[in-house]
Amino acid sequence: MTDIKLPELGEGVTEGELVKWLVKPGDTVKADQTVAEIMTDKATVEVPTPVAGTVKELLFKPGQIIKVESVIVKLESGAAATASATTTTAHKPSTPVAATQSTATVDVKLPELGEGVTEGELVKWTVNIGDTVKADQTVAEIMTDKATVEVPTPVAGVVKEFKFKKGDVIKVESVILTLSGSASTTAQPQAHTNGHAAKSTTTTTSAAPTLMMASTTATTAAGIFPPVADSKVLATPATRRLAREMGVDINGLPGSGLAGRVTREDVLSAKGGSASVTKGTGTGAVSAGTPTMNFPKPAYNSTNAALEERVDLVGIRKKIAQNMQMSKAVIPHFTLMDEVDVTQLVAIRDSVKDFAEKNGTKITYLPIVMKALIATIKEFPMFNASIDDANSQIVYKKYFNIGFAADTPNGLVVPVIKNADQKTILEISKEILDLSKRARDGKLKPDEMKGSTITITNIGSVGGMYATPIINHPEVAILGMYKIQDKPVIKDGQLAAIKVMNYTITADHRLIDGAVAANFLKSFFAKIQNPGVLMMGLT
Amino acid sequence: MQNFDIVVIGSGPGGYVAAIRSAQLGFKTAIIEKEALGGVCLNVGCIPSKAMITATHLLHKAQHDFKTMGLNIKGGIDVDMKTLVSWKQSVCDKMSGGVNQLLKGNSVTVIKGTADFKTTQELTVKSSTGTDTVKAKYFIIATGSRPIEIPGFAFDEKDICSSTGALAFDTIPKRVVTIGGGYIGLEISSYLRKLGTEVTVVEANTSLLSGVVDPECAQVVARKAEKAGIQFKFGAKAKGQKKAKDGYEVTVEINGKDEVIKTDKILVTVGRRPNGDQANIKGVGIQTDDRGFIKVDAQRRTNISHIFAIGDICGQPMLAHKASHEGVMVAEIISGINRVYDAKTVPAVVFTDPEIASAGMTEAECKAKGYNDLMISKFPFAANGRAVSMSETDGFVKMIADKKTHILLGVHIVGPEASNLISEAALAIEMGARLEDVALTIHPHPTLGETMMEAAEATLGHAIHIIQKPLGGAHKTATVTK
Repeated sequence: MTDIKLPELGEGVTEGELVKWLVKPGDTVKADQTVAEIMTDKATVEVPTPVAGTVKELLFKPGQIIKVESVIVKLESGAAATASATTTTAHKPSTPVAATQSTATVDVKLPELGEGVTEGELVKWTVNIGDTVKADQTVAEIMTDKATVEVPTPVAGVVKEFKFKKGDVIKVESVILTLSGSASTTAQPQAHTNGHAAKSTTTTTSAAPTLMMASTTATTAAGIFPPVADSKVLATPATRRLAREMGVDINGLPGSGLAGRVTREDVLSAKGGSASVTKGTGTGAVSAGTPTMNFPKPAYNSTNAALEERVDLVGIRKKIAQNMQMSKAVIPHFTLMDEVDVTQLVAIRDSVKDFAEKNGTKITYLPIVMKALIATIKEFPMFNASIDDANSQIVYKKYFNIGFAADTPNGLVVPVIKNADQKTILEISKEILDLSKRARDGKLKPDEMKGSTITITNIGSVGGMYATPIINHPEVAILGMYKIQDKPVIKDGQLAAIKVMNYTITADHRLIDGAVAANFLKSFFAKIQNPGVLMMGLT
Repeated sequence: MQNFDIVVIGSGPGGYVAAIRSAQLGFKTAIIEKEALGGVCLNVGCIPSKAMITATHLLHKAQHDFKTMGLNIKGGIDVDMKTLVSWKQSVCDKMSGGVNQLLKGNSVTVIKGTADFKTTQELTVKSSTGTDTVKAKYFIIATGSRPIEIPGFAFDEKDICSSTGALAFDTIPKRVVTIGGGYIGLEISSYLRKLGTEVTVVEANTSLLSGVVDPECAQVVARKAEKAGIQFKFGAKAKGQKKAKDGYEVTVEINGKDEVIKTDKILVTVGRRPNGDQANIKGVGIQTDDRGFIKVDAQRRTNISHIFAIGDICGQPMLAHKASHEGVMVAEIISGINRVYDAKTVPAVVFTDPEIASAGMTEAECKAKGYNDLMISKFPFAANGRAVSMSETDGFVKMIADKKTHILLGVHIVGPEASNLISEAALAIEMGARLEDVALTIHPHPTLGETMMEAAEATLGHAIHIIQKPLGGAHKTATVTK
């Protein structure tokens, strides 16, 4: 029997949602055959089995959140098991310790902060989930009545879970985070392979080797206790090793032997009794990642069930639902609408069509609008900001990552043009085409949908005069662009035909006042109306 | 492009041991070596120097002890340096070949070439046949150290030599100046002297091996070396050299005055430096300290969690056996076993005449650690039957124990086979043994090992084979605090 584990899904991704199984119990699978689709933050990843065999048991149901490294499938290895399968089993006898301790976690508690101080406010985490931390490394900053204190972890491991958020008031002795294993063996390598992974669009290709290592290295539970060599602890090398392998800190054990020697029995009984390692308190349900707000969950009571179809709300749809609900609940939205003369813009765009084609791309209005937007938010930095509610702070961003809403068969996604201010319109055009195509194919990497500082939604190509979009939290504004239409106007006393385009700017009213938004739109329109003005500001 | 679970860079006593243990644990393992398998230790360090020392020790015995024992050699002994050097080389080749067989037998892929980190994920390996990329999930850096070069004494390895060049001399130099009286300089100087070379050791400190070994042990060696005819210049700084009509003139500064020493060869043995500046270690963000050692934690993990460093490259002491210990440890850590570097002592040996070996702390180190009440005593080899019968009576075994608990803290040996005797001391210290544990263990007679038992007895105040003051109850274990 071989356990198939959920491999690493990407940098910083610790869990994913099971979208569907592609195999069922009894199926014979080949090595590298896809067995499941897992959705991470935004990308759907195909998970292959590294070995061949017969599916014995599927351990999760669609919609469930699965942590990386969890066993997802039990496979009965067939005769055709591949090399990697045999390697996996070959490792087992040599690492019995790893096998027994692989699931152990260590709780890190908030230590005493000072005399009479019983609690403190979490200012920030100084580590991230998935980080490998050393013993004594600072993991958090806690503010007490008088001072901000750096809280170290007493043991090394990999950060598994934060129990509190910034701004939470934490009582001394509360568990603040949990650590697992020792070295995060694969997180680090993954971080650097992005460049190479780019060729294959998801991280699934690297899943198989990762998996093989995982079985041998998910290891070292507990802590890496300091060596006794430097202390005056008396114990034989064999006893010291035993203690380490059992996760007992020998430095803290009273020795019952001659002259205070810590004996083998001392170590064994320490493990039986109150060992210095506390196991994780079984974290039960895992949250779906983003907001842990409590929204009411009213049931829908069918009155005509026969004519209704029920589909599980999972995958991207569920993610969209959560994000929209959270954004609308957190941000007081308001929207300003207006139209602008784009006659010149249309002319300019038409004039570069051939040029763009020669350069192997297609110029749409979106990249030009993006440039105008960047030029405008440089004048109005509050539009390129976020509100850090936990710390009651406004975060102004000095970089310009522009998200654009893309419609896909699976639903709305927002790919991001990173550092769009540093790219030419031609470059942005190419990137938009590439990202849009991969968005439709569901092949975007999570990273490509992260980090936007403001978003543009463009439903003009479909229709509608105006819309009131929802801001992509934690951003504070979203620009809407709509259809271009011919419109008659009276110009210098004469009837003339011009081209107009409708825009909306939707903003977070906590940060942006109505008049500011109006000025923003005015400045933006000046650039759209007269692209020459925009060109003056281009770098 | 080749892909491995673990790639070890460097095949010295750290690297090849790490590779073998990695393979034993089931990892797909490769080892990269740019020169000969076995590294400095097997090829230009520990092993060849021991071969030379053994041969010249025999020569010395033949010249000095044989006559007393009634063994007369007619016409004297002729040293054929070419044969001696090629025999030495055959010893190295045998060892290096053995490493190759062990690696092969464990299915470790041996890659010949120079490795440079391209990213933290992959290495570029340049060899005579081209350039290849090697990827791995884990890397173990075991690239060791190299002799320190000092200004004005650039190595040509013919006349101005590091240990590497000196070990390859195929004629007996008439005169040698050794700059640096550390263990490497002393080992080579001692055997050259036995071959008849006029040796001058230039040492910046005021004594030999200062700060490295127990000062009393160093004294025994210094005295015997002086008697053998080695010249010592203490408190001397080598300022430069120039080519003279015959050989070289080395200028040294002693007490502010320059002195010129004429010589044929110059041996510079002022220490070794870690190779932290190679293999593009820093280029991919692996942190080193200001001396070039890679910074590691107690698991020998670098700041990049899937890259480890072992041996000379990760810190003192730069000793082969420390590297091997770390190599095994790191492979096991990667396999998931919870280990850290947790040795109480790294025994050290110096193959001078007589040998020096130590385990545990010196008196000064004990004091620094807060052991204020110490028991210290010595037992001389001159009182040991086997040593006398070997005609090797210089030296002693010195023991240091905590007076409260009698727990052994340090053992320092200078004398015959000190290198082989020290392992018992290392075991005793790791086990947390007390003086009584050593004293009450029956040691076979007649052996040099008896000196360990006797030294423990002497430290307790009641050795049999030396005259000690009346016991006054000191032999009763009950006086020891539990």
